[in-house]
Amino acid sequence: MKDSLPHLSTEFFTWLWWTSETGGGRIDVDGEEIILWVDDRLAFRLPSEDAARAVLTGDDTARAAEAKAALAAGKVIKEVRLRLQWADREYGFTLKGAGLDVGGLVLPALPEEGDEQDRLMIRMESIEALWAVLGALYRKFAGIRTTDAWSSDVIPGVHAWLRGEA
Amino acid sequence: MGFLKGRLTFRRYRVLDPLPSDFRDRFEQAFTEHAFREKSGISKGEETVGWVRADNLLETDFSNRDKWLYTHYAMAGMRLDKKSLPMPLVRAMVEKRIEEWCEENGRAKAPASVRTDIRMNIENDMLARTLPTVKVVPFCWNLPEGWVLFENTSDRINDRFRTLVRNSFGIGLEPFSPLDFLVDSPELVEPLASAGMTLMSGGGR
Repeated sequence: MKDSLPHLSTEFFTWLWWTSETGGGRIDVDGEEIILWVDDRLAFRLPSEDAARAVLTGDDTARAAEAKAALAAGKVIKEVRLRLQWADREYGFTLKGAGLDVGGLVLPALPEEGDEQDRLMIRMESIEALWAVLGALYRKFAGIRTTDAWSSDVIPGVHAWLRGEA
Repeated sequence: MGFLKGRLTFRRYRVLDPLPSDFRDRFEQAFTEHAFREKSGISKGEETVGWVRADNLLETDFSNRDKWLYTHYAMAGMRLDKKSLPMPLVRAMVEKRIEEWCEENGRAKAPASVRTDIRMNIENDMLARTLPTVKVVPFCWNLPEGWVLFENTSDRINDRFRTLVRNSFGIGLEPFSPLDFLVDSPELVEPLASAGMTLMSGGGR
């Protein structure tokens, strides 16, 4: 279809982080509320490089002063570990890179019974459900990113948040 | 493997070509023709690559479709074998052997051709005694919907995978782009694709 446009993924990661932090983790996605938060890992790179320049791990990474400082200093997010909840499901996973590679995906607890084929079907359905939510989140981001609200609301909002005013 | 249990790391692909109606036969044939086969004389740094069944990396018999076709998913593994040598040890052995040659032949220095022969002999001898490093990367292919998950995110390994899929099945794969999420919102694609980078750094203290 097209290139992955790496800067859009980094902006998507930043938007997820900011939206989650300023909205108490609750995000409306196609009329359904999900709960999303940055978990225990953020990796930053310079916009012109691919290698990570700063990696933050541990509890409350999303609120660490170093994390906001990295963003304020002009770095962009290379990888972000997220936790996502909706209905009775909870996922943990890392999103990385322009093509949204997925790392360390922990799926919700699933029934143990059944044979290999049953397990595969259930797990793939669970992955597809996650992918559908990510798609809805990306469409929400794209809808904002392509309107004036991006420059009038989001960017000033992110700047205020980085200054600790939000 | 992550598709059946445990954590999962993957790169997602879109399948570019339509699935032939006789895909079961074709896939079985392609898996079989491009199954992993051990090579007797694998050279330094050379990779041997081919398909193995997901249930056991030593299994390369794809005639039983129940072992790779799970309703609408095809699942198998790409096996890569590579031999590498401990180069500090190789260099030390070569230098020692060259010294011995010089002593035996009353020469202060060994000619380049002799040095090359000695190095080649030592490397070949060590390669013959060295087990390869073995890597198996599973994939899961949703056949009707046309997407594939490959359990690795290294660009080099992914390039090998796409090449092997192309060579085996005659089908191209394209890495997922987030813009693929916008297939039902085509009006967003162009403005998003042409959006420049936003500097988020204006809010620092």
